[in-house]
Amino acid sequence: MSTSSVIPDSAEILTRLRAALSVPLGDAVQGVAEDADLTEALGERYDSLAAMECITAVETQFGVEVDFVADDVRHIFSTLSRITEFVQGRLEDDAALRAASDA
Amino acid sequence: MMVSKDLVADPSAIGTSSGRPDLWCTYAAIRTLAWLNRPDGFVDGERTARYLSSRRNGDGGYAWSRGMASDAWATYYCTQGLTDLLRFGIAEAALGGVAQTTRWLDTTWSGDAFAMMPGQAPDAWATFFSTRTAVEICSGSETVDTERLLKWLSGLQTADGGLAWTPEHAARGEADARACFYGVLAWRALTRTGAHPAPWDVERLVAWLRAQQTPEGGFRFSPDAEVPCMWATYRATVALDALGSGPAAPRACVSWITSLRGETGAFVRWEGYPVEDVWASFCAIGSLRALRAPTEPYADAVTARMRRLACAEGGYTYREPDLAADALSTSASILSHQALGVTTADPAIETRRRWLRGCLLPNEGGVMYMPARGSEVRCTLWALEAGALDGAAHLAGRITPWLRGLQNPDGGFGYWEGRGSDVVSSVSAAEIRRILGDGHGDPLDTAELLRFLDSCRTPGPDEDWQAGNVPGGEPTLRATLQALRARQLLGTPDPRAVARTLTRHHVPGGGYANTGNRIPDLLSTYEAVLTATRHSIPLDREHIRRFCDRVTQEHGTAWTPLAPADGRDLLAECVGDLLRQWVSDDAAALPALTIS
Repeated sequence: MSTSSVIPDSAEILTRLRAALSVPLGDAVQGVAEDADLTEALGERYDSLAAMECITAVETQFGVEVDFVADDVRHIFSTLSRITEFVQGRLEDDAALRAASDA
Repeated sequence: MMVSKDLVADPSAIGTSSGRPDLWCTYAAIRTLAWLNRPDGFVDGERTARYLSSRRNGDGGYAWSRGMASDAWATYYCTQGLTDLLRFGIAEAALGGVAQTTRWLDTTWSGDAFAMMPGQAPDAWATFFSTRTAVEICSGSETVDTERLLKWLSGLQTADGGLAWTPEHAARGEADARACFYGVLAWRALTRTGAHPAPWDVERLVAWLRAQQTPEGGFRFSPDAEVPCMWATYRATVALDALGSGPAAPRACVSWITSLRGETGAFVRWEGYPVEDVWASFCAIGSLRALRAPTEPYADAVTARMRRLACAEGGYTYREPDLAADALSTSASILSHQALGVTTADPAIETRRRWLRGCLLPNEGGVMYMPARGSEVRCTLWALEAGALDGAAHLAGRITPWLRGLQNPDGGFGYWEGRGSDVVSSVSAAEIRRILGDGHGDPLDTAELLRFLDSCRTPGPDEDWQAGNVPGGEPTLRATLQALRARQLLGTPDPRAVARTLTRHHVPGGGYANTGNRIPDLLSTYEAVLTATRHSIPLDREHIRRFCDRVTQEHGTAWTPLAPADGRDLLAECVGDLLRQWVSDDAAALPALTIS
């Protein structure tokens, strides 16, 4: 199995991301544009406590782990497109590491 | 009775204001305007409602500020303030999730009365707040056992007739006009649920309250108080009214109240006090209502004054926002200046220290968060660490007896007089003793404080020493290290327990987490460094630097990697400045700053 075949594309990640974030953020997240700033789009609902819940939801949905110091979590979790990019990059890294360890 | 010249605020001293609203000030302003039926005093009612509702936590309770744990005090002030605003048609004030608030209140029920937070011992403050919240906001709670609550309230009466903070304080004979108010008004709230006779010897209670009226006409907190004040007068007159009585000399009381007015016509706390603060007008109008005296002659001046105290982001503070300095912000600004290399001889530092000394006022010997608000143990510690008594060491003689009186019968300390004990306040008390020394007598009972700290210990793996902030509380890094730091100061150090705690909460990327080891935060990392250095445990400065780099943002220092920094949070700036200094300077020592 090639690495690329197990990694969802960005459109699929975004779809799964919206579904995962609708639990902590409600249905409003479905209508938020990819590049919209989540704080501006969702207002006070998207505070640091809500962002924490979103990180947990992303970790659970995609099986990745966020590092609160090494990763710039405030920047990454400010738009849906940045989260998507982060998830895709982390999945690719994990797949590459698995491939290297299998070799 | 005159105020000592040592305790008269120096008008040339300037503290540091955050410019932000305060919860108690906001409640006092709203309630005063509601009493006067003056909605024109609500400068931006919708924003004020949002300020109050934003204190709500996921557990249904409310907190003093966002991100802090819920407590009875904040829950009462927020829900009452929102209810008052709703009466005036301010739509944003609609209370949501009352059932959840009821469930949170139930977690603070001890079986006999209410505690300020789950796990704490009940006290008169919390019992008043939560009985009223339960009866007036939540329409009753099935958990509250009225008979047991009345029995607990009955135990507040002291041998001389007044009421104390808890039955244990009553056994020590420590009656206070504020405790009388809280006890009596909790009982009165209960009478809404049925006919319950007052559970005290009312004749002796009335006599004790009346005896607190001074020849000037105002009331004092207790026979030990130095001067009569508007706060004590409000608590006493309302309690007497609720008991169907009144002062022995009501006209003298009204004259005293109405004489204490400043240039704007709003009220001041006591004779000669220069600031017409929010609480003085709240207490004056509340007292006049209890005395059945007219309030209309003062309504215009008080309403205009309240409008001047409104903050841009909604809510109110105690005086004009740009002048509304507080002890924590002022101490933080001094300590930040020092961390950034400003010498202690800088005039700006000395004028702030003089302002802090102005927070030592009559009737309570500690430093007040805001002048005339009531002494607070954490603020006293921050002020002392910021050098408030430099050049005024004689004032330590006021703080020591106040601290001694603050120790609760369970051995611990609470934030202020009569408030239930917790580890944060207890380690603050131990640090205050370290700074003041024993030149004015020992301010605390070591064995009793150790007993309280042990009661906060929770079972951990391998018999580790772990503690929650209150007995039965969830163990956290901060509570555990604060308890261990206090134990060291009390002569029972346990460096192995400190080392194990640090290992347990070490975040690999950088910093320390309060729970688990994933999400580091500024306060926990500061506590880790402080307690480790006190126990001579070496830390990796590079590991702390990585954390500092992550929370250092364009506009200032953030409390966590997820939180935004806006540069206006002086406490976060101070803690960040001190940690960054520690990372870069081997000789830097952290002051014992403790907030939660």
